[in-house]
Amino acid sequence: MAGRAQTWPNRPGEPGKPSTAGRNPLTCPPAMVNRVARNHARGLGLGAFLSGFVPGLLQYQLGQKRRAAIAFVSCFVLFFVGWVVVKERLYYWALLTPDTPPGGGTGTLQMLARFGLPITLPELLNAPANAIGAMLAWDATPSGERLWRLPRAFEHLFAWLTAASGMLAAFWSAAGHWDLRWRRDSGDNTPAPSANPALCAALSWLVPGLGHARAGQKDKGMLMGAAVVIVFVMGLLFSHGHAVDRAEASVWWIGQNLFGGGSLFAALVTGPWERIGATQELDLGVVLCTVAGLMNLVVMVDAFTVAERSSFPLPQQAEVKA
Amino acid sequence: MSFPLRLAVYLPVLFLIAIVVVGQHHTNARDTLRAALKRMLRWDLWTLVLLVVMFGLEFLLIGW
Repeated sequence: MAGRAQTWPNRPGEPGKPSTAGRNPLTCPPAMVNRVARNHARGLGLGAFLSGFVPGLLQYQLGQKRRAAIAFVSCFVLFFVGWVVVKERLYYWALLTPDTPPGGGTGTLQMLARFGLPITLPELLNAPANAIGAMLAWDATPSGERLWRLPRAFEHLFAWLTAASGMLAAFWSAAGHWDLRWRRDSGDNTPAPSANPALCAALSWLVPGLGHARAGQKDKGMLMGAAVVIVFVMGLLFSHGHAVDRAEASVWWIGQNLFGGGSLFAALVTGPWERIGATQELDLGVVLCTVAGLMNLVVMVDAFTVAERSSFPLPQQAEVKA
Repeated sequence: MSFPLRLAVYLPVLFLIAIVVVGQHHTNARDTLRAALKRMLRWDLWTLVLLVVMFGLEFLLIGW
């Protein structure tokens, strides 16, 4: 921990303390630093938010070119390894598919989808790869539309990979936002964080509670993690393993995938199971697994916050420390 | 699904959700558990209120 504390502010390729030029968090003028000191909850602006949808763009703007390249390549490779198998079927699972809406005609959102902006979650968080994948897969012919409905071999696993690329892009974005905040708000006396907040969130996505352990709240992390896992396992048991299935319940799966480790387990183990008849408690299982995913979203955000507040405590926490 | 089984699912799940919700305001497991128990009891009361209101509306609008 001490080693991280010493090296954090001066990692190679990372900008140092707040600069004095410019007008946005990327360049961090002193006046903004002063305002932020009065309002700890102030955001980083719409520009930084939108930049987060392109993996590596925030790191590039921060001058971290190597990290930017790693972010971009990792998200693209993960997406297209999955896309090679699922292709157009991925967009059949989108919230808004590019096909003709009921009643004919073409809606604005359908038009956007045809030009590479289908609302595929969480792949949309990796916006460029999602757009390229949609344009490469788009086929307006009736036979093309039939392909959407054709199940693919190992589609559970490969659909998880495309989704993981979206989540990975979100964590790279969170890392960029954290670096922006560090550049904007930190001073000479700001303590280094107990762990990288974005890494804590990513760890919690895979194993609920692991991010808290990394950030220094091990027992609370184990408790919260156990709560998520128990609800998820209950859901799988009630549904005889069929609750987490992107092909069958794609909208529910968006919530379930917020527990990445659980959805990976389901993709590898329970997803490919053959469904024999309908289980009576399938609906209950689907809802429980989705609730577990949403609970894990809270766990991920809390893990990020715990690590963040080790450097930037709330005003009352700072007074207690003093 | 029978009523006891529904209750056996509902109450533990409510408690587990409460752990995650109140965990954000505490730093250790013991405080989180205590607060989660209180929060679950409060949610149980609200559930009862909701049930009474729904049965009341059913009685008023549909009849017994």
